Amino acid sequence: MERRLFLKCLGCGTALSALPAADLLPGFLGGLQNASAFDFADELSEVEARYYRKLPEGGIECAICPRRCRITDLERGYCGTRENRGDIYYTLVYGLPCSVNIDPIEKKPLFHFYPGTTAFSLATAGCNVNCKFCQNWEISQTRPEQTNNIKLPPQKIIDFCKEHKVPTIAYTYSEPIVFYEYMYDTAKLGRAESIKSVMITGGYIEKEPLADLLNQLHAVKVDLKAIREDYYKKTVDGELKPVLEALVQIKKSGCWLEIVYLVVPTLNDSDAEFTELVRWVKANLGTDTPVHFTRFHPQYLLRHLPPTPQQTLERAHAIGCAEGLEYVYLGNIPGHPAESTYCPGCGKVLIRRRGYRISQYNLQGNLCPYCQRTIPGIF
Amino acid sequence: MKYPAGGERSAPDQAHYQLLLAAGLKLLTGESDVRQAIGKSIPRGVVGLKTNCLSPRLTHTPIALTDALAELLVAAGFAENDIVVWERTNRELKRAGYRLNASSFGRRCLGTDTNQIGYSSQHYNFEDVNSRVSRILTQMVDSNINLPVLKDHSIAGLSGGLKNMFGAIHNPNKYHDYNCNPFAAQVNNLKPIRMKNRLTIMDAFRVQYHGGPGLKEEYINYYGGLIIAADPVAADRVGLEILEHLRQRNNLPSLAKTGRPVNYLKSAEQTGLGVADLKKIDLVMRMVEKDGKQQEGKLF
Repeated sequence: MERRLFLKCLGCGTALSALPAADLLPGFLGGLQNASAFDFADELSEVEARYYRKLPEGGIECAICPRRCRITDLERGYCGTRENRGDIYYTLVYGLPCSVNIDPIEKKPLFHFYPGTTAFSLATAGCNVNCKFCQNWEISQTRPEQTNNIKLPPQKIIDFCKEHKVPTIAYTYSEPIVFYEYMYDTAKLGRAESIKSVMITGGYIEKEPLADLLNQLHAVKVDLKAIREDYYKKTVDGELKPVLEALVQIKKSGCWLEIVYLVVPTLNDSDAEFTELVRWVKANLGTDTPVHFTRFHPQYLLRHLPPTPQQTLERAHAIGCAEGLEYVYLGNIPGHPAESTYCPGCGKVLIRRRGYRISQYNLQGNLCPYCQRTIPGIF
Repeated sequence: MKYPAGGERSAPDQAHYQLLLAAGLKLLTGESDVRQAIGKSIPRGVVGLKTNCLSPRLTHTPIALTDALAELLVAAGFAENDIVVWERTNRELKRAGYRLNASSFGRRCLGTDTNQIGYSSQHYNFEDVNSRVSRILTQMVDSNINLPVLKDHSIAGLSGGLKNMFGAIHNPNKYHDYNCNPFAAQVNNLKPIRMKNRLTIMDAFRVQYHGGPGLKEEYINYYGGLIIAADPVAADRVGLEILEHLRQRNNLPSLAKTGRPVNYLKSAEQTGLGVADLKKIDLVMRMVEKDGKQQEGKLF
């Protein structure tokens, strides 16, 4: 019993988060029906990674993200989830999520993708950046041997979704790019069974793996953390340019795309940055790309900063609308009118939200019922 | 401390390590009795022995060295159970031949991944580094002896004592950019590491001078030394000298010329962690014979 955790049934918001060993108490989850069991994993996986090359002088170069880690025998890349063993590169987290949850799709947030449905959401340990504001740092900034992982191979996820009629799988919480192979295979299996896959990502990924992955995904939400390179350097430990390139690539692929911009007081909350951001989106992705400005709460390494004032978010919203973006949302302010979707044509409410709940749904297919305007997204 | 190789090129056994350790600790402290030397270096309480077991064989902290040191500690009055041999994971320790023991009896030997151990819930910061530290170091032991193995490192250039403490934090993968500079210096300035590390005893018998840190037998040379220091930076600086010498002897370019300058030693010196200038290091070389007799030694 001790190494086994039972998910007895499904329901929105029920969660298993396998936190670092000392914090986890295996137990039952409430509000569930049909019994199903997942075993804890005692070992990490040893599945050969994709997208790497062997270096002539020995060692390998990881080609999954722009960091391009060069890794010698028995060492790992920056993400901590991929290891060189005898110049074969392995993913250590294949089929081993440390966090599993059934979430409303609005929590991702994806507002134009099957609103009101749920997503089987999962993550493994690890991340290819180190955001100082990360709300999931306990799993993202950790190596997989430091989390309690459950054995959940792709087929088991698909079976679970089919059995419980969960329409979508979300790869989320940490950074799915670091468990690329697991995500890809699960999404591919899901596609064959009409189960959708969405990736919630920082978008710090190389072009080739992204192109292949987009063939299996139905939607992507990218956290565009700033529009300034120095913010990426200082606060994210990453780079902006490859993220912008990934956004364009996703949009061009036809995969549904939404953007989140976490507004962090004093760090990326100036009018100039909001303006720069929305102009970039307008010019490169189009005015129909939803942009969510979300509220920061003090977390991880930025506990000294206050939560984002509502007025700041409303300023960002106003700038987005004034610049011509058609779907500008505010996040983490439950009950705010800017959580809802309005028709850019007639201004009427199409989907009224409060937090993750939908209180009014007026869309007819993809059409506004009042002016017949087509609303972009997958409904 | 150097040990004459004689006809054999293998590492010494426990008795021989003990000779070297006793001689070195006495020299380091100026004491004539090894028990007093240990008493002067290591405070009473629980003492950790941080090994390096990345490599499954040859270039991990030798069990004979760990056993020899533990025996000296016991002779100096430490209880067996107050000695904790440790590493990141049980798997690495087992693979290197160590026998795990997390019980209340006998010498303990365990990885940070042992059930109920793990990493501190608190994050420790020093400049760019922000990490949780093994609870073996933060909660279980009162002091620590660092037992690295001298070897080449593909990114850091040198893998010695400072680099070995990457094995005490939960996120070492985040700190390998820029040849680990200044991260190696910063990791060793995290409060529990800086406060508890008392000694560095670096094994330099079989030195992998190229292709590390993973094992590449073709690049191992016998050097036959043990570096014992209270100053972790000085220990690494001397180790670097040996590593560069072996590289040169094998017609390899210096670490700096291969794009792996060991600049983190200078950074460590700037934080006040120790001395990185070889000229300022009080380096005492001794050749210890099998019968315990000593003579002046040379680095090369």
